Amino acid sequence: MEPVKLESLLRQLREVVGERYAFADPYEVRLYQYDASPETALPDIVVIPGTAEEVARVVKLCADAGIPITARSAASSLAGGTVPVERGVVITFARMDQILEIDSDNLRAVVQPGVVNLALSQALKPLGYYYVPDPSSQGACTIGGNVGTNAGGPHTLLYGVTVNHVTGLEVALPSGELVQVGGKKAAEATGYDLAGLLVGSEGTMGIVTRIWVKIQPLPPTQKTLMAVYPDVETASNAVSAIVRTGILPAAIEMMDKLSIQAIEAASHAGYPLDAGAVLLLEVDGIPELAEELGQRMAKVCRENGATEVRVARNEAERQALWKGRKGAFSAMGRLSSDFYVMDGVVPRTKLPDTLARIDAISARTGYRICNVFHAGDGNLHPLVLFDAFKPGQYEAVLRIGDEILKLCADAGGSVTGEHGIGLEKRENIRYVFSDDDLEVMDRIRRVFDPHRLMNPGKVFPSDGLAPSAHETLPGYPRRQAAAIGAGDDLWV
Amino acid sequence: MGIEARVKPLPGHQISVEQQRLMSVDGLLPSKVMRPEDAGDAAAGLRLCDLGPAAVIVWGGGTQMRLGSVPRRYEIAFSTEGMTRMLEYQPADLTCRVEAGMRLTDLQATLAAQGQRLPLDPPRPERATVGGMVAANANGLGRARYGTVRDWVIGIAVAYPSGKVARAGGKVVKNVAGYDLMKLHIGALGTLGVVAEVNFKVQARPEAQATVLGHFDAALPAIGAATSLARQYLAPSAAIVIDRHVLWACGLTADWRWALALKLEGYGREVDAARDLAVRAVRDAGGRVEGQDIPAAFWDAARDWSAPPDEVVLLRAITPVGKLPAVVAAIPADAQTLSQPASGIVDLRLPAATAATGLKGLRAAAGEEGQVVVLSAPASVKPGLDVWGPPPPGFPIMRALKQALDPNGIVNPGRFVGGI
Repeated sequence: MEPVKLESLLRQLREVVGERYAFADPYEVRLYQYDASPETALPDIVVIPGTAEEVARVVKLCADAGIPITARSAASSLAGGTVPVERGVVITFARMDQILEIDSDNLRAVVQPGVVNLALSQALKPLGYYYVPDPSSQGACTIGGNVGTNAGGPHTLLYGVTVNHVTGLEVALPSGELVQVGGKKAAEATGYDLAGLLVGSEGTMGIVTRIWVKIQPLPPTQKTLMAVYPDVETASNAVSAIVRTGILPAAIEMMDKLSIQAIEAASHAGYPLDAGAVLLLEVDGIPELAEELGQRMAKVCRENGATEVRVARNEAERQALWKGRKGAFSAMGRLSSDFYVMDGVVPRTKLPDTLARIDAISARTGYRICNVFHAGDGNLHPLVLFDAFKPGQYEAVLRIGDEILKLCADAGGSVTGEHGIGLEKRENIRYVFSDDDLEVMDRIRRVFDPHRLMNPGKVFPSDGLAPSAHETLPGYPRRQAAAIGAGDDLWV
Repeated sequence: MGIEARVKPLPGHQISVEQQRLMSVDGLLPSKVMRPEDAGDAAAGLRLCDLGPAAVIVWGGGTQMRLGSVPRRYEIAFSTEGMTRMLEYQPADLTCRVEAGMRLTDLQATLAAQGQRLPLDPPRPERATVGGMVAANANGLGRARYGTVRDWVIGIAVAYPSGKVARAGGKVVKNVAGYDLMKLHIGALGTLGVVAEVNFKVQARPEAQATVLGHFDAALPAIGAATSLARQYLAPSAAIVIDRHVLWACGLTADWRWALALKLEGYGREVDAARDLAVRAVRDAGGRVEGQDIPAAFWDAARDWSAPPDEVVLLRAITPVGKLPAVVAAIPADAQTLSQPASGIVDLRLPAATAATGLKGLRAAAGEEGQVVVLSAPASVKPGLDVWGPPPPGFPIMRALKQALDPNGIVNPGRFVGGI
């Protein structure tokens, strides 16, 4: 941004949020150049608004000045979703972290975007409720960020991802308007489901300032068991066998040999070091049912090649098993100074084949790849280990990531299950969507953000898209088309 | 219609007077019909209509055709009856991909053969199509427990007036690539394009099922019992409060003023425990539980009650749960009602003559946080009813979305909120 323009915008932003909460000092804004992905970019200005009205005014000021706006909370994005790649203004939600209402009659809570995911469930616990989506980073990530990426987590297998738990949003649009879409009611409001559309739009349409979420009663008990397998293929087949019985666990997680070694070194979760794969399974239910389902699953696991099945006998043992899984990414530090994590999805039945192909890529390239993932819904998180200080390694790892995502897409899956497209996968999105698909999405984006100022550089490929089909559609001139329509019997 | 449109030949095929009558919408008749055979075909057809321009009304099974405002124009009946295939089904993945014209009972039968189901139960599944269910966001009685259409659609292919087919979502249950356009098309009543294919996630059929039937002298205690059960971990999969006319329509003969019917589903042990809980909730609220024999078709009849005969007006009030007493107090004396308290929904059948007055009273009672929609009304009274009520917040964006995807306004013009 030109210095004059920056000075003027900064002055205006400070009038809105106060002197302290808008800054452009190069040293201070450095903290906001990165998220949990390897990418970085410096913002020109950082703003920390205190109210929804302030957010709306900030967005309007930036939009009027033609300055890009990127929303950010905990910045735990693994896809570069909050990296301000086209610079401009970063809005962060550290001051908007209040739970505004808990309405147990309607099974709803109303929160500000900066509320930490786990904090909501902790506040609900004494009342007997919880908020279901539980990304592994739930101790840090915020509900606002979860809405941006449509975040998942282990327990979304049975209960669905963020969008299934959001019934309303208040959103600041580039026009400066603050609009409430949806609300407390069930999601059958009149009009288009804009709240549903906005969830997962990664901040490219507007900035969410308030969120209505569903809450649900805590399960009376949870039965967690660990099953040990000689290899990932046997474990994958066991997952399919469990699904075939008609039991749908609340979570099915898998860790491969390398992950187990890292996790054990870091947190001593009690996973056997010589295992080829470990499955973590959890069922919710009333005590007698959880007990029964636990036994039924243990039996299926044994019948399908488990060398050991261990059932958590109490909450402490359950937490120990989960601690290993939830801390898996940070445990990778025991194996390697750097890792690159992917978020591919394949149909559950394609797991063994996909894992074998990833193994082959690892063997061919010489890079170690760990697999720790949500096996129940086929959401893979391959972690490619590398050393960022060795020249060429980062580039090589990106190529491996690209190859793995192509593999997932070709297996009928997706390039992202819960992390979002962000900056990282904006080229990979072409593996799952055609130009026609992307053109419609872009057209919708422009309805909200005609000048491409909301988190620009994300979601869509960097080479841009073909101009609108309506303007330039090749094919029939009008006359000819009418003639075809009148004549033949195409439509019978 | 301008002179130009009258002389320009329209795409599609001539239909007989009888077919025209069968495919009329709110008294308007189409002049031609199009029957595309797949998504690409549908898009090519829409493109021709767009060039006309000729206004298109999309037809599936016809069970929701009385929903929506009176169309602004209607020239082409666009039928999905040629698009009825199951394109992919992998039981072990609990996913499937089907064409929009597939009937729901056909889909459910295919799934049932593998011990699975789609836990959505809109009215008249023997006629209703997948595409119609998506476009109308038609849900049944299981919504409080299983969610609505938006919770089960994982991918979509839509034919647009531009002549293109564009997809969103995918075939896996967890996927955040690209915008979630499924949400945009669910409940859009086909005003943004024609839903051509739908990908669903499905689930295993429950191991056990039971029904508990309680009866009450007043509606509010029954509603209270239903909402308190909805907050329990072992919540019923359906909980409806019905008056005696609806009870009789569902095949029971008892002379109860109000009945609370609870459908319990799940693993065997769960259903046993849920039954005890349900019986206790009814008694605690002052109701009586009878060992009444429940006709096998009871739940099907209750589900279909919300797709009434032509001459009846059907209204749906949706409010936060706390507003339900106010809505119940505003129910006209000549109405028949079926409510789903856990979802804040009250459905009412009214005689055409008193519908306008009833609608006004209910809107006042539902307040700003609630809404009352006309789900069905005969053509004779519909023009006098404000079908959708006031446009919701965010309406200018909705209008702009319509403009962006259907610039010539050819798909279902005028039927949606605010004249979209």
